[in-house]
Amino acid sequence: MDSEDDMHDANDVDSYEEYYFSGDAMDSDMEDDDAVFEYLDNASDGSDDVVSRQQKNYTILKEDDISQRQEDDITTICSVLSISRDSACMLLRRYNWNVTNVHEYWFANEDEVRKAVGLMDNTNIKPPKSGELHCGICFESYPLDNISSAACGHPFCNTCWTAYISTSINDGPGCLTLRCPIPSCGAAVGVDMVNMLTSEEDKKKYRRYLLRSYIEDSKKTKWCPAPGCDCAIEFEMGGGSYDVTCYCSYSFCWNCTEEAHRPVDCETVSKWIMKNSAESENMNWILANSKPCPKCKRPIEKNQGCMHMTCNPPCKYEFCWLCLGQWSDHGERTGGFYACNRYESAKQEGAYDESERRREMAKNSLERYTHYYERWATNQSSRQKALADLQQMQTVHLAKLSAKQCQPETNLKFILEAWLQIVECRRVLKWTYAYGYYLPEQEQAKRQFFEYLQGEAEAGLERLHQCAEKELHTYLELSASDDFNNFRTKLAGLTTVTRNYFENLVNALENGLSDVDAHGAASSKTSTSKNAAGTSKSKGGKGKGPTKGAGSTRTDDLTGWSCDQCTYMNSKNATSCQMCHTARS
Amino acid sequence: MANSNLPRRIIKETQRLLSEPAPGISASPSEDNMRYFNVMILGPTQSPYEGGVFKLELFLPEEYPMAAPKVRFLTKIYHPNIDKLGRICLDILKDKWSPALQIRTVLLSIQALLSAPNPDDPLSENIAKHWKSNEAEAVETAKEWTRLYASGA
Repeated sequence: MDSEDDMHDANDVDSYEEYYFSGDAMDSDMEDDDAVFEYLDNASDGSDDVVSRQQKNYTILKEDDISQRQEDDITTICSVLSISRDSACMLLRRYNWNVTNVHEYWFANEDEVRKAVGLMDNTNIKPPKSGELHCGICFESYPLDNISSAACGHPFCNTCWTAYISTSINDGPGCLTLRCPIPSCGAAVGVDMVNMLTSEEDKKKYRRYLLRSYIEDSKKTKWCPAPGCDCAIEFEMGGGSYDVTCYCSYSFCWNCTEEAHRPVDCETVSKWIMKNSAESENMNWILANSKPCPKCKRPIEKNQGCMHMTCNPPCKYEFCWLCLGQWSDHGERTGGFYACNRYESAKQEGAYDESERRREMAKNSLERYTHYYERWATNQSSRQKALADLQQMQTVHLAKLSAKQCQPETNLKFILEAWLQIVECRRVLKWTYAYGYYLPEQEQAKRQFFEYLQGEAEAGLERLHQCAEKELHTYLELSASDDFNNFRTKLAGLTTVTRNYFENLVNALENGLSDVDAHGAASSKTSTSKNAAGTSKSKGGKGKGPTKGAGSTRTDDLTGWSCDQCTYMNSKNATSCQMCHTARS
Repeated sequence: MANSNLPRRIIKETQRLLSEPAPGISASPSEDNMRYFNVMILGPTQSPYEGGVFKLELFLPEEYPMAAPKVRFLTKIYHPNIDKLGRICLDILKDKWSPALQIRTVLLSIQALLSAPNPDDPLSENIAKHWKSNEAEAVETAKEWTRLYASGA
């Protein structure tokens, strides 16, 4: 499992390399991007499903789709191997629902496979034609119609079978590999017997396990981890990012099934999440801000008062906070009750250095972590808020606005797009804080550049958020006006600019800010902005307005100038911003 | 007690345990609860437990035979798969239980476990470590415990 993950990661790196450095890959990248723009176009044509977007490398499966596929696979195996549906189902389950593998193993060594799965050739077992049989579980004798057996022929009464299968079903998914009760037998008990002998409720549970097995045992499919969502995602390995978005609009990383976390890699995310949840931070705090009672070792925080400490009952030990020695040793001899020269002199000899330094370091690292965590969490809650606002917009405001401004709702999709962009940006921004936390301290140039990019991203997003929230509100009150068209242009423009900026940001961070390495600290800013401009140039090719240089610095260069207000890259001749009409500074 | 509607299977098993006991094993139901058995297993020959008489208790839960019987050593025993409360690490008492097994087969399996301790799947970490690092010495301790705790019964 591990090695496989490694392999994925390795693929990942390779594909990114190709993605960003080879010219050919750019073209395919552009196709992908067109798909996104098509989706946006469709959306403005009035399609309801603004949130979901289908990309080539994954398929979303609803419960019916899953059942259908399962049925299809069983039918295939049935007809190719000429076995019962029951047996086909067990075979497929054994080989993780991989039809090719079933074929391969079956035709390589049918006997071996039959043995492993518990499919007996029952042609030479002849059940008695009449009389009674003895049940191996309840030890009673029954007429033949009350007796059943798996392919092996071991007889048990129907009541005992029902109890046996039901116990197994209620024990969990292990019921899918149920065998004959005789321990040495191994004959499989399949779906046919389950259907024949158990209650409706148990049958339902069994079918549920079978369905789950289809998704969980296969390497190509995973459940959407969103609570209450019944969809699964089928993912095509190789190429592209792991981010997938389910019909329920939840975005997650297919590789690690955490929420979508580009630009941060899966390993960092798991480290970060572990760190957030781990007791380690509590321990760090205790270490930094408390000392253990010298007698009972309970941690004590000193928040005020003198150095004379008295531990809580039942310990009640009295000691000096500074030297942790017994208080009764203190007095005139140690420099008075309010000073402890034993501590001072011992400190000079270096006796406390080790524990003091540890305490100091813990404090620093705690503060550093708190800094990043707070911002990570704030963006998380901003994102939740934005999602709620988006919902509100869809359900309430849009209709209102449509009435006020005399615009059909389909013409107002640009507002939803802006909000979707805000939600996405909050997500990215959130993860940049995990990125920042793990960016090594000593990489000064990278840190500087990273913080610059992050700051710009934050500013850009604030502008968009401001426009989509505050400015929009005025139009909810006013009656129809020309201003509204200007507003549309501005908000749509900001959305595009912000999207491009964040895409470039994600790319740059996923590259490990490699431009800084390549060009050295001094020239890093300009070189990356060129790169960013180049990337977005190739992406914005579908006439959505000129979008290059969203991540650029403010300095004018040969190709144009970036607007102070909205960061839009204008042509060098323009005197005011084509996007937001701010005059050139 | 609820002995009145005891399943036929339990009655039959009990009768057979009493009429044709397995060698080295005795199991008799308690008078006031037919689901509770007093068990004695003789230490198998050529094992460190040879010569010992080990007391166990065995209880058939309501779900029996769909659920495994609950068995526990009452006599102190030095064995890597048995802890100091007498609980036994044996697959057929857990996930490998099958209703086609019986009290008799369970007790025979426990007897076999005494002959062949399995320190690779330990219940008692310390004893297992002892067994693996110095088997001769561990076997000596087991013999000693057998003499001390399992001889008088």
